[in-house]
Amino acid sequence: MTLGPLLALIVVLAVAPALPGLATRTRAFLTGRRGAPILQLYADLAKLIRKNVVYSRTTTPVFRLGPIITVASVLVAATLLPLDGHTALLSFSGDLVAFAGLLGLGRFALVLAGLDTGSSFEGMGASREVTVSTFAEPALFLGLTVPLLATGEFSLGGMLGDRLTGVWATAAPSLSLAAASLFMLTLAETSRVPVDDPATHLELTMIHEVIVLDHSGPELALILFGNAVKLALFGGLVVSLLVPRGGLPGWLALVVLVGGLGLVAVGVGVVEASMARLRMNRVPQFLVAASALATFGVILLLR
Amino acid sequence: MSTVLWGAALILSGGVAAVLLRRWARLADRLYATLLLAGGALGLVPAIETLGGSPASTASFSGSLPGGPWAFALDPLSAWFLLPICLAGPAAGVFGTAYLAAERGHRNVALAHALFAALLAALIGVVTSQSMIAFLAAWEVMALSAYLLVVFESEQLEARRAGLIYVVLTHVSTLALIGMFAAMSTTTEGRTFADFAAGSQVASTPRTLAFGLALLGFGLKAGAVPLHFWLPGAHAAAPSHVSAVLSGVMLKVGIYGLLRIIGLLGPAPLWFGWSLFGLGVISGVLGVLWALGQHDLKRLLAYHSVENIGIILLGMGVGVLGVSYHHPVVAALGFAGAVLHSLNHSLFKSLLFLGAGAVVRATGTRVIDRLGGLGRRMPLTALAFGIGSVAIVGLPPLNGFVSEWLVFGGLFSAARAPEALRFAIVGAAALALIGGLALACFSKLDGVLFLGQARAPVPGGLGVREPGAGMVVPMLGLAAACIAIGVFPMLVLDPARRVAESVMQVAAGPPDEWAAAAPRIASVALGVLLAIAVLTWLRSRLRHAVKPVVDQTWACGGLPLSPRMQYSASSYAAPLLAAFGALAGVPQAREATAFHSHPLDLIQDRAVLPTWRGLESLSQRLRQWQGGRIRWYLLSVVATLLVLLFYLMRWKGAV
Repeated sequence: MTLGPLLALIVVLAVAPALPGLATRTRAFLTGRRGAPILQLYADLAKLIRKNVVYSRTTTPVFRLGPIITVASVLVAATLLPLDGHTALLSFSGDLVAFAGLLGLGRFALVLAGLDTGSSFEGMGASREVTVSTFAEPALFLGLTVPLLATGEFSLGGMLGDRLTGVWATAAPSLSLAAASLFMLTLAETSRVPVDDPATHLELTMIHEVIVLDHSGPELALILFGNAVKLALFGGLVVSLLVPRGGLPGWLALVVLVGGLGLVAVGVGVVEASMARLRMNRVPQFLVAASALATFGVILLLR
Repeated sequence: MSTVLWGAALILSGGVAAVLLRRWARLADRLYATLLLAGGALGLVPAIETLGGSPASTASFSGSLPGGPWAFALDPLSAWFLLPICLAGPAAGVFGTAYLAAERGHRNVALAHALFAALLAALIGVVTSQSMIAFLAAWEVMALSAYLLVVFESEQLEARRAGLIYVVLTHVSTLALIGMFAAMSTTTEGRTFADFAAGSQVASTPRTLAFGLALLGFGLKAGAVPLHFWLPGAHAAAPSHVSAVLSGVMLKVGIYGLLRIIGLLGPAPLWFGWSLFGLGVISGVLGVLWALGQHDLKRLLAYHSVENIGIILLGMGVGVLGVSYHHPVVAALGFAGAVLHSLNHSLFKSLLFLGAGAVVRATGTRVIDRLGGLGRRMPLTALAFGIGSVAIVGLPPLNGFVSEWLVFGGLFSAARAPEALRFAIVGAAALALIGGLALACFSKLDGVLFLGQARAPVPGGLGVREPGAGMVVPMLGLAAACIAIGVFPMLVLDPARRVAESVMQVAAGPPDEWAAAAPRIASVALGVLLAIAVLTWLRSRLRHAVKPVVDQTWACGGLPLSPRMQYSASSYAAPLLAAFGALAGVPQAREATAFHSHPLDLIQDRAVLPTWRGLESLSQRLRQWQGGRIRWYLLSVVATLLVLLFYLMRWKGAV
C-alpha cells in the first residue's frame, strides 16, 4: 500500500459532495435560474450532523443500520478503483464482481431501511429502486467487461490503470461505447434525470428521495454523502475509460481525475436541463439501451 | 470410508429410536437429535480429511448382493457433497424435532423422523457408492422416503397432488439413470464405476446416449428448467425442515451425479457443455423471475432453488467447455464455482427454509401478503433470515458472493479464449441480471415479512413470538457457517479447487492469480464489517442525536398510516414483472373494486398439463371403439387382417 492511492481516495471523498451541487448549478444556469451554491451539500451535511433525529414508532434497528451499511459499502467499493490512475488500494482478480456486490449491499440495506417505516411512499420508492437497479446490473458488468477484454486484466486496478494507456489507441471505439454506457448508468445509479429527478417535490414521482423520506439528522447526512460518493465512483469509471492516465505522474493524474469528475457533473447537469424525466415504465428501456451500447463494445473486442 | 458408513448407521439408528421410543416423546427427540448430530460429525471428519489431501479410501461388500460387489469410496468429489448432507441435514433434523412437536397429537411424527433419517442415510449412500446397483438402491430409497415426507400432511389436497407429480417425475429420473447405466454397460462386463470409466473413454453411440440420459435423469433431479415443475409444489408441501433438506441437499445429488458422470466418462462432448450452459442461463433467469411473482413463502424459496441450480449449471457448463477447449484455468474456475455454490446454497437455502418454517409455525400462514412486522416479535429469526437473504443474493461479505465470484471468474476468463468459448461472456450478463432480480426478490421478502406492520390479523396474532432454542440454534448455526465462508474464503477455495481437478482429471496448473485472491476477498469482507463498526461508533458519539424524537411515520401530514396502506409483496414486484411481460407468468384480473394476480408455472400450467389433457381426451375418443359392440370388434379384426394381407402381398411377395 502506498500513499498515492490512499491520498487519491481522500481527495475524491473530499470533493465528492461538490459534484451534485455542480450538476444542479449547471442545470439551473442552463434553464435561466441562478441555483444553489455549488458547495451547498457541505453546508447541508454540516447542518444535518448537528441536528437531532426523528424515528417512526414502526421502525427497528434496520432503519438506523441502513444508512451506515450503505456508506460503509460505498467506501470499501472506492478502495477497489485505481483513483490515482495507476493502482488501487485493494486489487484482485474479479474484483469488479466485488465492486458491483458492494454497491448491491448498500442498496439492499437502504431499501430495507425504507421498508422498515411501513409507509406506502417508502415501499413505492424501494420497489422502483430495485426495478431500476435490476436493469442496471447487466449494463455495469458488460461495461466493465470492455476494459477487461481490452487489457486482459481481471482486476479494476489493472484494467483501468497503467495497462489501459497502451491499448487505448486500438480499443478506443469499444472503450468510448463502454464510457457512454457507464455515463447512462451514472444517471440511473445516482438518481438523476432522466431516471429520477432530485428536484421533484411530489412523493409519487420520486425514486431515491422517497426511500429516505423518514430519515433525518446524521442518518440523512450519511445517505446524502453516500450518494455523492457513488456519483464520484461512477464518474471515476467514465473518466478512467475516456482519459487513460497511466503515463502521467500521480499528482497530475489526480488533477485530471478531479477535473474529469467536474466535467461529468456538468454533463449530468446538461442532460438534466435538456430533457424531462422518463415515464417509470420507460426506464427499463433506457437501461437496456445502456446494456446494448456496452454489448456493442464487447462484440467489437470479441471479433 | 467405513467411518462414513458408521455415521449413516448412527443416523438410521436415530430414526429407529424415534419410532421405538415414541411413547417417551422428549427422550426420543433428544436421542434422535443426538444420533443425527453424531452421525453427521462421523461423516464430516473423514470428508474434511479427504478434502485436505488424504488419499481416497474405499470399502467393498461382496457376497450374495445383487449386481456384484457393492463398492463405496470417499474421493474428493464424494467428500465435498458429504459436507451439505452432514452440515445441513442434522441441523434441519434438530429443527424438525421442535417444529413437529406441535403436531404430535394428530400426525405420526415418529414416522416422519424415521423417514427423515432414512433420507439422510440414503443421501450419504448416493454420494459415496461406486457401483451401479448400490447407487440405484440408495437413489430409490432417497426418492421414496422424500415422497413419503412430501405427503406427510396428506389430508391436504395440495400435498397429495404435489406428491403425485413428484413421485412420477422422480421415477422418470430413475428410469433415465437405469438407461444411462445400461448404455455404459455395453462396453464393459463389470458394474462398478471404475469399470465404466475404463470402458467408455472412446466416443461411441452408447457414450453419447449415456451423456444424454444423464442430462435428463440428473437434470430432472436437480430441477433445471424445463424439468423443474415438480419442485415448487413438492418443496412447499413438505414440512419445512424437510423442505430445507429437499431444496438444500437433495437437489445437489443431481449436480453430484452430473459431475460424477463427467469425471467417469472423460472429456464431455461440446454439445453437452453448451447444453449445461444454456440450461444454467435459462434456469437461473426464469427461476428467479418466477420466484418474484409468488405469493406463497415456501414456493418462492423453492423457485429460488431453481435459480441457484441455474447458477451451478452455468459454472459446470463453463467447466465442461473449458476442458473441451483445453483451457484448464477456465475449467477449474467453472467447476470450483459450481461445487462451492452447491455447498453455499445448501447452507443458506436450508437456513431460509428453516426460517420460513419458524414463520409458518408462529403465524399459521404461508401467504406473504398476510404477514408483516414480524422482526420485532421474532428478532433472532429475522436476523438469521436476513443473513440468509444477503448470502443468497450473492453480496459480500457472505458466502454466496464467493461462489458467484468464481463463476464470474470462469466466464471472464472464457471471454478471453480465442475459440467459440468466448461467447460464454453472455453468461456474465445473465448472472448479473439474476443478481439484480434476486436482490429485488429478497428485499421484498425481508421487507414484507419482518419489517413494517402486520398486514392481517393472524390466528393467535398476539401469540406470535420467537420459537424456542430447538429452532433458533440450528438457524443461527447455519448463519454462522454462511458468515465463516464469506469472511474466510480460504477455508473452502483450495478444497473446491481440488474437487474441480478431480472432476477434470487434469491438474489446473500452479496456483494462479485467482487462487491468490482469497485473502483480498477476506479483506473486502472485513473492511465492510470494520467500516460498519466504525461508523456505528461514530454515530453513537453524536450525543445530541442519541435521544431521538419518536413519532408516527410521515404520512404527508395526513391521518396515521394504516397497515393496509403499506406496499404489499405483489405491488412491490409489479413494476419488474410488468417489464418482463408474459414471461413472468403472473396473469392479473382487474375488477372495479378488486385486483387479483395468480402466479402460474408456465411449464406445468401451459405445456405439461395441456398436453396431458390432450392425450386424455384423445384416449377418451379411442374408448368408443371399446364400447362392447361385437360388430365393431369383428370389423377391427377384418380390417387388421386385410392390412396385413396387403402388406405381405405388396412388400414381401408372399402371396
